[in-house]
Amino acid sequence: MKNFFKSIGNYFKEFATAIAKGDIGVKLSLVIMGAGYAARKQIINGIIMTLLEAVFVVMCVFYAAPNLAKFGTLGTVQFEQKFDPLTMTSTVNDYDNSFLILLNSIIALFIILAFILVYIGNIKTVYRLQLRKEAGKHINTFAEDVKSLFNQKFNITLLTLPCLGIILMNIIPILVLIAVAFTNYDQQHMPPNALFTWVGFKNFKQLFTNSTTVTFGYAFGKVLVWTLVWAFFATFTTFIGGILMAQFVNSKNTKLPKLWRTLFMVAIAVPQFVTLLLVRNFFGDSGIVNTICSNIGLTDFLKSIGLVGSHLTYIPFLTNPNWTKVMIILINIWVGVPYQMLIATGVLMNIPVDQLESARIDGANKFQIFWKITMPYILFIMGPSLITDFVKNINNFNVIYLLTQDVYVTSDQLLANSNAKEVDLLVTWLFRLTNEYYNYKIASVIGILVFIICAAFTLVTFTQMIKGNREEDFQ
Amino acid sequence: MKKTVDFIIRHAVLLILAVIWLIPIVWLVVTSFSGYRGINTSHFFPETWSLNNYRALFLEPDSVVQYSAWFKNTFIIAIFTCIISTIFVLMVSYTMSCMRFKGRKALMSFGIILNMFPGVLSMIAVYFVMKSIGLTNSHLGMIIVYSAASGLGYLITKGFMDTISVSLREAARLEGASEATIFMRIIIPLSKPIIVYTVINSFLVPWGDFVLAKLMLNSGISTDWTIAIGLYNMLNKSLVNKYFSIFCAGGVIVSIPISILFVLMQKFYVEGVTGGSVKG
Repeated sequence: MKNFFKSIGNYFKEFATAIAKGDIGVKLSLVIMGAGYAARKQIINGIIMTLLEAVFVVMCVFYAAPNLAKFGTLGTVQFEQKFDPLTMTSTVNDYDNSFLILLNSIIALFIILAFILVYIGNIKTVYRLQLRKEAGKHINTFAEDVKSLFNQKFNITLLTLPCLGIILMNIIPILVLIAVAFTNYDQQHMPPNALFTWVGFKNFKQLFTNSTTVTFGYAFGKVLVWTLVWAFFATFTTFIGGILMAQFVNSKNTKLPKLWRTLFMVAIAVPQFVTLLLVRNFFGDSGIVNTICSNIGLTDFLKSIGLVGSHLTYIPFLTNPNWTKVMIILINIWVGVPYQMLIATGVLMNIPVDQLESARIDGANKFQIFWKITMPYILFIMGPSLITDFVKNINNFNVIYLLTQDVYVTSDQLLANSNAKEVDLLVTWLFRLTNEYYNYKIASVIGILVFIICAAFTLVTFTQMIKGNREEDFQ
Repeated sequence: MKKTVDFIIRHAVLLILAVIWLIPIVWLVVTSFSGYRGINTSHFFPETWSLNNYRALFLEPDSVVQYSAWFKNTFIIAIFTCIISTIFVLMVSYTMSCMRFKGRKALMSFGIILNMFPGVLSMIAVYFVMKSIGLTNSHLGMIIVYSAASGLGYLITKGFMDTISVSLREAARLEGASEATIFMRIIIPLSKPIIVYTVINSFLVPWGDFVLAKLMLNSGISTDWTIAIGLYNMLNKSLVNKYFSIFCAGGVIVSIPISILFVLMQKFYVEGVTGGSVKG
């Protein structure tokens, strides 16, 4: 952290020195960016820089300024359509689109920030050129500069496009999401027909309040608890199941381990959306499993011990909240265990054999060896991925959505008021809020909260990963 | 005696587990050959067998089933996604693994943190960004969405490149090779296995993705869809009784190429998850 501030300090110190000690060429670069290059006879560099500056100024005037001017209000001119009976055409006024203003402002802020960095870097480079000149060193020609982009500065060439992609598809959307959480963007305020505006922390308050009409607080609590319960069970059941299965399949007492492994692999090689949608019909209220269960009398038995409501003629695998929750975790075991088995197999193959051998000689039994040697070793290798898995399960959209969408209907009126279901994860709730009910403001708030929860777990993983001084434990 | 009992129990358990894991798959395959179009709720195996579902899939496209078009769409999107993603990943991995420059560590940490934030969250914003530049309901838009941020997934490839001996690069540099030459002539040829992994992995993304495709391709014109949305749509309440076995046939067809690719790359999957700490 200290280094971080120090390097920022240095960054601006260099900039200040460059301005203070620079000659007329450097100082002129403050206004015309290419001037410093021109003074060192790097004409093409100078022209490129000046052109860049010109483009930036034009962008500011025609793109950034009009958008940023409305950024405070997110637009004031309401959409209006006038029908002209004489010409039989309708005209639309010059309305403000709040969302585009928001998006463009964020992009413009990004461009301005990038330009400031280029600007400061430019002054520094120009000053460095001056120093080289004064020391009588060689100054690169344009051709040499281009060449260096494929040699010493190859990293710049390589990273430009990927970074642009990440900024456009990752960073900007996240910033937009954060901004929307502070607006009243919902079904009543949908651009282009209506405007939306800043409301401060109102949405955050709404998510934590409960009243007769607003039940977001209630729904949020329920969904959050189920999300964490699900993530915990989903992660640990598949993890332990995978290790046990790997142990079992790869044991030297098992014949044809490869064949068994391949059989389990077939199940995960089929795309997840196919298997999940299939299983959903498999366990449907009038599905085949229910037919079989009622034929062999299981349905009646479950009724008699009270696990199935007496008014039902089927087992509500995916329609009753408790049944569904259990089923989802079981089906997830089905989906997830082969993956974990695959990984655990790889890990187990590399377990230090001499440790196992010496434990056996010392008289340890199978279970002692498993818990005292195998498990710590597996945890050491797979520990970080366990935490990543937990975060992934918090956001495991596919399993929940494909199994319950269109099938599960909530009977809890308070949840239904907030468009939530008992079996929703935060992300599926968020998806439904936006995709079906256009309630972007609350969805964004939920998004930010999921973000914070994931970030907390991510930070734990990350510090674990870079701590890494235990590397030699098992060598 | 004890050994035989152990042997029998062990293999009986394995057999039961295998049956549990294979039942849905078997059901998928047998239903795809069913003569009855809806869900067979009374019998596991179909009562009549036929190839009609496969014929309907390819030869009789209607407003609901456009399988060939979906397959083509998904294939085109997958090919371009795969090319762009692989190039991006290789570019970032090489920079992070083989070059030393100011801010490298900071950039890497930032990338790891950013990558751990799940895509579902910013998806809605991505949709709006694409909508405002008019790229929803287009293949180009899907390709951009799938591949633009792929540079973040560089960790596995970087780990692989880290194992390539430094002396090779140093020798090349002494001979006067530039970084670009080292990248193209030395590192890429030596990274072939991991490139295969990256290619297959990114090729599989559009075949398995459901959420983003549903959000982005929302025009309701079935010829625009990818396989995932198309098959999902067949299970709509009003359609499921007429299209369930066709859905199964479609599922079988799409599974064949994907399982082959999956089996090919499973070796690297382990290394990817454990961060390369397992050298198998």
